[in-house]
Amino acid sequence: MVSVQSPPGRRELPYARVLLLPAILMAAATGAAAAAVSEPARTAVGWCGGVAMLLVLATAAEAVRRGRALRDLRAEHARHTAYLERRVASHEAEMLRFAKEIVPNAIYRLRSGNSPGEVIRRIGDIDPSYRELPESQLKVLQTVLEIIDREEALRDSAQRSFVSIARRVQAIVHQQNNELREMEEDHGRNPEVFDDLLRIDHGTALIGRLADSISVLGGGRPGRQWPDPVPLYSVLRGGMSRILEYRRIKLDSIAQVNIRGISVEPVIHAVAELMDNATRYSPPQTKVHVTATEVQTGVAVEIEDAGVSFSEEARNKAEGMLERAKAGVDLQDLGDAPRLGLAVVGRLCSQFNMQVSLRSSAYGGVRAVLIVPREMMTEEPAPGLAHGIGAGAVPKTEGALEGPKRAPKRRRPTSPRIPATVSMTDEVPEVTEWTAGGLPQRRSRVKIPLSQRLAEQAAAEKAEREGKPSIWSTPAPAPEPEQKEPEPGLWVEAFWNGLKGDPDPAALTQQTTEPARIEADDERDHK
Amino acid sequence: MTPPQRRRRYPSQEAVEPVPKPTPEGEGGDGKRPPERLYVVAGPDGERADLDLVTLIVARADPPPSATPEQTAMLRLTTAPLSVAELSAYLNLPFSVVTVLLTEMLTAELVQARAPIVRQALPDRSLLEAVMHGLQRL
Repeated sequence: MVSVQSPPGRRELPYARVLLLPAILMAAATGAAAAAVSEPARTAVGWCGGVAMLLVLATAAEAVRRGRALRDLRAEHARHTAYLERRVASHEAEMLRFAKEIVPNAIYRLRSGNSPGEVIRRIGDIDPSYRELPESQLKVLQTVLEIIDREEALRDSAQRSFVSIARRVQAIVHQQNNELREMEEDHGRNPEVFDDLLRIDHGTALIGRLADSISVLGGGRPGRQWPDPVPLYSVLRGGMSRILEYRRIKLDSIAQVNIRGISVEPVIHAVAELMDNATRYSPPQTKVHVTATEVQTGVAVEIEDAGVSFSEEARNKAEGMLERAKAGVDLQDLGDAPRLGLAVVGRLCSQFNMQVSLRSSAYGGVRAVLIVPREMMTEEPAPGLAHGIGAGAVPKTEGALEGPKRAPKRRRPTSPRIPATVSMTDEVPEVTEWTAGGLPQRRSRVKIPLSQRLAEQAAAEKAEREGKPSIWSTPAPAPEPEQKEPEPGLWVEAFWNGLKGDPDPAALTQQTTEPARIEADDERDHK
Repeated sequence: MTPPQRRRRYPSQEAVEPVPKPTPEGEGGDGKRPPERLYVVAGPDGERADLDLVTLIVARADPPPSATPEQTAMLRLTTAPLSVAELSAYLNLPFSVVTVLLTEMLTAELVQARAPIVRQALPDRSLLEAVMHGLQRL
C-alpha cells in the first residue's frame, strides 16, 4: 500500500516561521501602499494594511493548523487501514487453519468416541494453542461436530440394524446347519432322503454366506467361531461348501498346515468369495484350480480360473474396489447391482491383515492369490488328523499291553497281486445245467437284490420263532428201507480173498448185485 | 428368533442328558465338526453301488495322490476287510456318504466289495455247488 505519511525526515516547522513570509509580504505591501498614497490617506491605508495583515495572518495560521490536523488524521487513517488489513489477513490464515487443522482434529476426536460437548471442552488437550480459539470459531466447531455426530449416529444405526438382521439370519442358518447334519446322520441309510437333505443343506449354506457378507460389510465379525485349530484342507473345503458350483473346484496340492480356530471363519469366507467369483466369471464346464503353498509370510492360497482374461482396465477397477473396501466401504456405495464379493474380501483383508492380489492367469483367466498371515496359523494339532476326518476314530491301542517293538512292516495288500481282469470271487462258471439247445445254462450268482434276500431272511427267522413249519422243521419223509451196505472194512477182506486166488462165489455175487455208482448222479440230487 | 429345536429321531445313547442349547448368537455350538459340509465330502452324487451295511470292503491298491483324505483313510482302514458300517462309524460319516465314496473307489478299482452271505431257508444253489466243487478239488 502507498504510504500517505509524510517522510519522517521532515520536521515540523514552528508557526512563527510559517507565518513570517505572509507577514513580511503584507508588511511590505502595506509599506509600499502607504508610501505610494498621499499623506492624508497614509494613516488610513496604514491601518487598513495592518488590519489586512492581521486577517491574512489569522487566516494563514488557521489554514496551516487545519492542514496539520488533516495530515495527522490522514496518517491515523492509514495506520488504521493497515491494521485492518493485517487483521483481515490473519483472520484468513486463522480460518484456513481452522478448516485444515482444527476441524479435522476435532472430528478425529469425535470419531474416537467423544461426544461433541466433550471435544469442545477438551479442545486444549489436542493442542494447547487451541485454548485461545475465539468464541465464534468454537461455536462453528460445535455446530459442525453436532451435525457430524447426528449423521454418524444415523448411519451407524442403519448399519447396526443391517448387522443385527444378518446376525439373526446367521443364527437361524447355524441352527439349521446343525440340525441338517443331525438329519443327515439320522437318515443316512436312506439315499433318496439323504440326497434331498444335501440339497437343502447346500441352499442353507448359500444363505449363510450372504448373511455373513452383510454382516462383514456392516462392520461385524463373521458368524461362526471354531474353538479348535482346523486343517487348511478342511478350511478350503469349508469355503467350497458355501458356493453354488462347488463341483468345479479342484483342490490340488494343499499345504498341510492348521489354521488357528479364531481365524478359521474369515479365511473360509474370503476363500468362498474368491471361489465364487472364479466360478461365476468362467465358463461352466471349466475347472477352478486351488492350490496352497507355504511362503515366508504365511500360506498363499491361489485360486485360478480359466475364464475371461483380465484387461488392465478391469484389473484396475477390481483393485480399486478392493482398496476402497479396505478403507471402509459404505453400504450405500455398493450400488444397485451389488458386487459384494470383492468388497467383502477387501473388508476381511483389512480387518484380519490378509493380503489379496488379482493377476491374470496363464490359463487366460484370473488368478487370485490370498496370503494368510503366519499369525493365523498354528502349530497345534487339529483334532482330526487326516484333514479333520477319520483318523481320530481308528481303534486305539491306548491302555492295551505294548507289543514287541518291531520295525514297521511295509504295507502290502491283503489280496495277492493279481491282474484286475481276474475275478477274485468264486464265480468260476460251473456248467451245471444245459439248455434245450445243448448250450450251457449260466446262472448269475446274485439275482435277487440284497435287501430282498435280507427281508426273506428276516421273514424266515420270524416264522421260525413263531413256530411255523419251515422246510427244515417239517419231518423228513420216512426213510426208504435201507439197502444193505457192506461193512466198511469188508472190501479189504474181499480184496485179499481175490488175491488169494480163492474165489468166493458169495463175495462176488454180493458185489455184483450192488448198483454201480454213477458220479454225475450226485449233482442231480441237489436240484 | 430361531425356529423350535428339532428332536433327534434316533437319539444316541450318550445324548440322554439335555444338550446345552446353542447360544442365540450362533457362536459356540459344537465346533467339533469340521467346517466342510457333507455334499462337498461326498463329491458328485450319482448312482450308488448296491452296498449293504455289512458288505465287506477290502483295499486293493495304495491310495493314489489324487485321493481325498476320506478315501485315503478308507484305504488305510480296509487293509484288513472291514464292513461298510464300521467304515461309516470310524470316519464319522453317514452311510450314504460312505457308499458314494465307495462307489467311486469301486469304479476306480481301488477297493473290492464282498456281499454278505444271507441265511436262507433254502441254501443258495450256487453256493452249494461252489462248496461241492471245492471239496472235489481237495
